[in-house]
Amino acid sequence: MRDLLIVGAGLTGLFSAALAARRGVRVALIAEGRGSLELSHGCIDVSGGLSPHLVVQQSRADHPYSLAGLENLEAAIREFRSLMQSAGLPYSGDLGRALRLPTALGTEHATSLAPAPLAAGDQARGGPLTYADLIGFRDFHAGLAAAEMASLGAPVGEPLHLPLLDAPAHRDSYATDLARLFDDARRREEIARAWKPQMRGVRRLALPAVIGLDRSHEAFADLEKRLGVPICEIPTLPPSVPGLRLEGALRRIAVEAGAWLLEGARAVGRVDGRSGGRRVSGVVAHTPGGPRQLDAAAVILATGGVLHGGLVARQNGLVQESVFDLPVTFRGEREGWTSPSALSPQPYARYGLTVSADMRPIGAHGEPLFENLFAAGGILAGADRAAEGSRQGIDLATAHRALEAAGA
Amino acid sequence: MNLPALGADLCVKCNICTAACPVAAATDLFLGPKAVGPQAARFRHPRLPLPDSSLTWCSGCGTCSRVCPHGVAVAEINIQAKARLAEEGRVPLRDHLISRPDLLGRLGTRLAPAANLALRLRPARWMIEKVMGIHRRAPLPAFARRTFRRRARARCVDQPPPPDEAHARTVAYFHGCGTNYYEPALGELAARILEMLGCRVVVPRQGCCGLPLQSNGLFEAARGYARYNLKWLSPFAHAGIPIVGTSTSCTLSLKHDYRAILGLDGEAAEDVAEGTYDIFEYMTLLLPEALDRLELLPVRARALYHAPCQLRAHGIGTPALEVLRRIPGLRLTVSESECCGVAGTYGLKREKYWVAHAVGAGLLEQVRSADLDFVITDSETCRWWISGHAGVPAHHPVEIVARSLEII
Repeated sequence: MRDLLIVGAGLTGLFSAALAARRGVRVALIAEGRGSLELSHGCIDVSGGLSPHLVVQQSRADHPYSLAGLENLEAAIREFRSLMQSAGLPYSGDLGRALRLPTALGTEHATSLAPAPLAAGDQARGGPLTYADLIGFRDFHAGLAAAEMASLGAPVGEPLHLPLLDAPAHRDSYATDLARLFDDARRREEIARAWKPQMRGVRRLALPAVIGLDRSHEAFADLEKRLGVPICEIPTLPPSVPGLRLEGALRRIAVEAGAWLLEGARAVGRVDGRSGGRRVSGVVAHTPGGPRQLDAAAVILATGGVLHGGLVARQNGLVQESVFDLPVTFRGEREGWTSPSALSPQPYARYGLTVSADMRPIGAHGEPLFENLFAAGGILAGADRAAEGSRQGIDLATAHRALEAAGA
Repeated sequence: MNLPALGADLCVKCNICTAACPVAAATDLFLGPKAVGPQAARFRHPRLPLPDSSLTWCSGCGTCSRVCPHGVAVAEINIQAKARLAEEGRVPLRDHLISRPDLLGRLGTRLAPAANLALRLRPARWMIEKVMGIHRRAPLPAFARRTFRRRARARCVDQPPPPDEAHARTVAYFHGCGTNYYEPALGELAARILEMLGCRVVVPRQGCCGLPLQSNGLFEAARGYARYNLKWLSPFAHAGIPIVGTSTSCTLSLKHDYRAILGLDGEAAEDVAEGTYDIFEYMTLLLPEALDRLELLPVRARALYHAPCQLRAHGIGTPALEVLRRIPGLRLTVSESECCGVAGTYGLKREKYWVAHAVGAGLLEQVRSADLDFVITDSETCRWWISGHAGVPAHHPVEIVARSLEII
């Protein structure tokens, strides 16, 4: 019997597990596979560059930020920073001012917190940015990014094309291949020596985010020192190295603190019959062998939204929550689920669980469906996280609130 | 035979499997699980030659299937494609031999002193490499003089015994070839610990699980062993007697591979799959009260716990770690490596040894640099590989629990 069972291994689930385990809670986390952090930029977007305080205050009553409140957002950000600091993956930035980071497409990404190597690209730090791509790496084009950046009026240097030594010869390189090269001190030294002559006149060098995976902090500092110019990293296509670093750090913290991580099993919710249907008793884990019963005093659903497995569209046109089959707030007709343009805000993005202020999913009359079932992150209704630029802020703030409500 | 559908169409090309794959990280000769799995599956026409031979670099560790968030059985797709390579006659004689540990074991235990001496001689290993293609530096275990079955003759049964007043539970112990021919003491300790937890332990008739044959693509021969095991084990499972094993790869075969890879279905396969447990999974899930009552005495030591890839594939997390953490005085660090490299028979092969070594390099470095008293890991091939390379003893968690119970 565990005190707490978390379902889902994205930012919400791993942050909850890490924090709960550090607090001495007997916590287990179950996930069907790895979460979408590996596809993410690794930054903490809170409010799309607007003031988080204003955004939270002005959110509609059913928006996750209104439910969690500013105090949970602030506390969650503090906890997150301290966890990352202790894991040797420090984050820069705060809720006071947005960081404006360059992207691989030459646009600007407004975010609140970023890993130090990404935060080094903040426009406020000034100085023209020189984009460099790595010859043979197809996921990052310096010329494209620089031209777009220049068209927005930002100062850019002449793009560079830097050679890679020992890049994979038998297949295209993934960002992870290159990141592992940079983990190796000897190779890093050779690469820096080959690049050094091209650093003349460079004020700030923007590289794809591949400078180290397991030893990124050390790799980044060492490369910067050897090149003699300030560098910054820009996240690339999946597999995303900054996302992997963050995921790895959270998982490590959770395991070291005693959390039990079950990876590769699908969870199906169990209701406690003896409670008269008022409580959940845990989940059945559908493992490759067979069903296994996992008991817990409380469960937090952190399974994500419609793109992440937390919600499922049934054949009969219903949208339901995927673990306990909870009712979901959505629009009836399929035609209304999406916008005509893929880039506009999407109605489906707002679908999800309606929860009370203590993060318990509620029924049509506002009553909690179960006493000990909580939900956090992308599964919550009422926010278009991509359009708002609020994805990770909601994850952390609601996870923090749900942990508190679950007594962890 | 109709092989199961493995969900290649569910793949969204997110590359989470590629990022996690330990072999793709070690060599670019392997295109990565997504590329040779769901992607190449589209080009594998039943009547056309296979699209690539990069597949042979896959070690079969199963990491890809476990981390996939979309339910694609990536490793299973790959092993079935390997079986087609085998059908096309592209399996060397060496693979036929090393994938029959029961034959080697029967021969080796009879000739134990001489065979063990020979295996320690460098010229002999050089000869074996030249003639057989088994790498001369790949650690090989020493044969036991008496098999586990001979030592445990009193426990051996062919049929489920009738219920016994003195014991609330009866369990059927699956020892596998590793315990039977190489580490018979481990089986005796496992039985004693289960007895201390209130179980009666019997040893049913059994053969090699067939996994080594299966992972070398020799499906028909593997099915022969599988059918034999199903014949002798299913009456136990059917009678509600759990099949409990100490070898994570054997138990994985019984739980998962017979059905999902070898395509054996029916009641016997189902009963055995759902009735099979890893020994620590069984203790933590089904005997929690008895486990709480065990009096665990201090084991003052520093150890690294490594969860084998084949245990991770069970989708049950790390149950041994849950028990080891209860032992006073035991200072544990947890390995983050997905795989030690050997992956059963993969690392023994002359042409694969260097890849296996590169896969496990991080783990071996962690072992060598950490001033450990021993390594703890559930799989026999991992233990032989790690201790053989790092020069640090490697134990099954059962042995450490036995030490804590002072039964060794």
